[in-house]
Amino acid sequence: MAVLEIRDMSIRFGGLQALKDVNVDVPEWEIVGLIGPNGAGKTTLFNCIMGLYSPNSGTVTYRGRDISLLPTHRKVSLGIGRTFQNIGLVRELTVIENFLLAQHPRIGYGAFGGMFGMPRTFLEERRLRANAMEVLDFIGLAHLAHSKLGGLPYGTLKLIEIGTVLATDPDVILLDEPSSGMGPDEAHAFGERLLKLRQTLNLTVLMIEHHVPLVTSVCDYVYCLNFGQILTHGKPRDVASHPEVVAAYLGGEVEGLHSEDDAEEVADVTS
Amino acid sequence: MSTQTDETQTISPVASEPSRFRPSTRGWAIRLVVIALLAVVTVWRVATVQPLWADHISLAAIFAIIGLSLNIVLGYTGQVSLGHHAFVGLGAFIAAHHITERAGCAPEEGCIESSLGTFSVAILLAILSGVISAGLLGMVALRIKGLYLALITLTYGFVAVNSIFEISSLTRGGAGMPAPRPATFFSDHKYMVLCLGLLGVCMFIDWRFLRSKMGRAVLAVKSSEAVAASYAVNVTAYKLMAFMLSGAFAGLAGALFAFRRQIVVAPDFSFSTALLWVLMVVVGGLGSRLGVVIGSMFFALFPFLIQLVGFLNDFLANTLQRDPEELTLVIGPFLALLTMIQFPGGIAEQISPITRWLGGDRFTMHPEGKHHKPSLLQRRRAKKQGLEVHDDAELVATKSEDLLRDAAGEPDAASTQTMAAVDSSEEVKS
Repeated sequence: MAVLEIRDMSIRFGGLQALKDVNVDVPEWEIVGLIGPNGAGKTTLFNCIMGLYSPNSGTVTYRGRDISLLPTHRKVSLGIGRTFQNIGLVRELTVIENFLLAQHPRIGYGAFGGMFGMPRTFLEERRLRANAMEVLDFIGLAHLAHSKLGGLPYGTLKLIEIGTVLATDPDVILLDEPSSGMGPDEAHAFGERLLKLRQTLNLTVLMIEHHVPLVTSVCDYVYCLNFGQILTHGKPRDVASHPEVVAAYLGGEVEGLHSEDDAEEVADVTS
Repeated sequence: MSTQTDETQTISPVASEPSRFRPSTRGWAIRLVVIALLAVVTVWRVATVQPLWADHISLAAIFAIIGLSLNIVLGYTGQVSLGHHAFVGLGAFIAAHHITERAGCAPEEGCIESSLGTFSVAILLAILSGVISAGLLGMVALRIKGLYLALITLTYGFVAVNSIFEISSLTRGGAGMPAPRPATFFSDHKYMVLCLGLLGVCMFIDWRFLRSKMGRAVLAVKSSEAVAASYAVNVTAYKLMAFMLSGAFAGLAGALFAFRRQIVVAPDFSFSTALLWVLMVVVGGLGSRLGVVIGSMFFALFPFLIQLVGFLNDFLANTLQRDPEELTLVIGPFLALLTMIQFPGGIAEQISPITRWLGGDRFTMHPEGKHHKPSLLQRRRAKKQGLEVHDDAELVATKSEDLLRDAAGEPDAASTQTMAAVDSSEEVKS
């Protein structure tokens, strides 16, 4: 049984059908890739899964439990972590404070206890800091614990974000373009890192990714999304070489998907 | 090629936090002496202050509590409230009403001193009224964002002034509701000590609020609600809790306000005062506890400070024929403009080198390294060595970059990537 099952997900923004009857299965311990050209609805699907958008129809099932209607923070507490395309970290906090924030659902004192400075809050904060340092050390960034986010390189921030998501103690993580802003070699190294993360932490991953070599080397299964619909799905190599996928990425003319204007544009570019 | 990386990451023993700069014993001693001197001078000045100025300082402490109250909503949570005069005013009237009407200590019946018990209950009731009204407004208003939230709080302020503050059994109309102090805090001096003490309590709560899970959650909400939710923060609940804490502070400030003059009249709480409170928080420095307290106290004391300057006072009284208080409403917006354009961090940022030094940090004028970029050649050399260039000119090779370089196999390739990373990080910042 799949850990995460998405069934018949549809959402419409005004006249735009952003997602239409999308079905995705994320089986236990697999890394599932989600590819597709810009505007295909990949991030929209993530937002629908997490409950940041309310889809017009469709269900999300997590380990056999329908969680479609749960608010986002409850889903995260259940063990679904998520990163953002443009770095979901809090700039006002230091690196370690972001890790403390990430442990929010498992903090052993109430909001009011913290506010009035109860003794146990200090002890609990110490425990949280130790946890944070453990994860930071695990991703190899322990020396940056007290840094502000402002001066750090983009790739490091991406890594820190994945670290904070690990600190939410997830079962499944949804990664939104984790290798964006990385060069090919960095992306490759990231792929290795991801495989190791899964190995040691027993993670299941659903990730949006454009970088085809990374997808083919890391993913166990790939879904290709185009214009809000699943174009095809299968083993990475099959999907990557699928003519419709190639056409969707390169903007070619297949089965009248595009209007004549688009075709002309493509012709202009290719000539 | 990546199998040869040294990235053998198993669950290792817990790393300790990297050590930060800590001053030497001598450094601590100097800091402690400075802090002690500051404390002694302040306590001595405040303890020997004239009764008139004791009253002024009470007002300053009350303004500081109001400033903290607004700062929670505006500075930490990133929500706008332009209706704080309603919370403060309601607290003031509830406290006065309890003493005069419910406990029956009205001046016309010869009661000029309330008992300490009723006084405490009155203050608690005022706090409760602030919590409840902020909670009710928050439940409706916090689903709305930005400009519309500002508009709703503004409207709430007007509605409260024109409805609640018109109930004559609560406010006794134009004559005002008396609010006699208890004997314990009857003199202006003792009352000042009470106000300053309660300000201290508020600052403690504010400190723990910010340094615990609630503060982090609320800062995340300010940064991005989607991101906050993805860290399992219940966005609506935390916004509401922050709003209610703000309401509690506002209610407390209202009660203290009522007992300061020992009478409350509705015109004390107008939209212009609410606006002034927002301005003083901005000038003090949004999100900074000490800055907000200093800014608020400055705004409260400004009319009285003006009167100390002889020629300004003459000019105001004789030529312009205006109250010094009215001058605050002219100077306030001007200072706020100056703050927003030239000094975005407000007073807090201007004094941050000193406060950071006192807190045990190095003395530096640019703590964030915002204004100090490495030189051209420094950058180039660092890039050649495959190091990261931080804007504070500290050249650090991060472990992650090392790992990536090892994985890539070629140091040169890695250094070019780092350059790309530096460039892209700059893009992100801009």
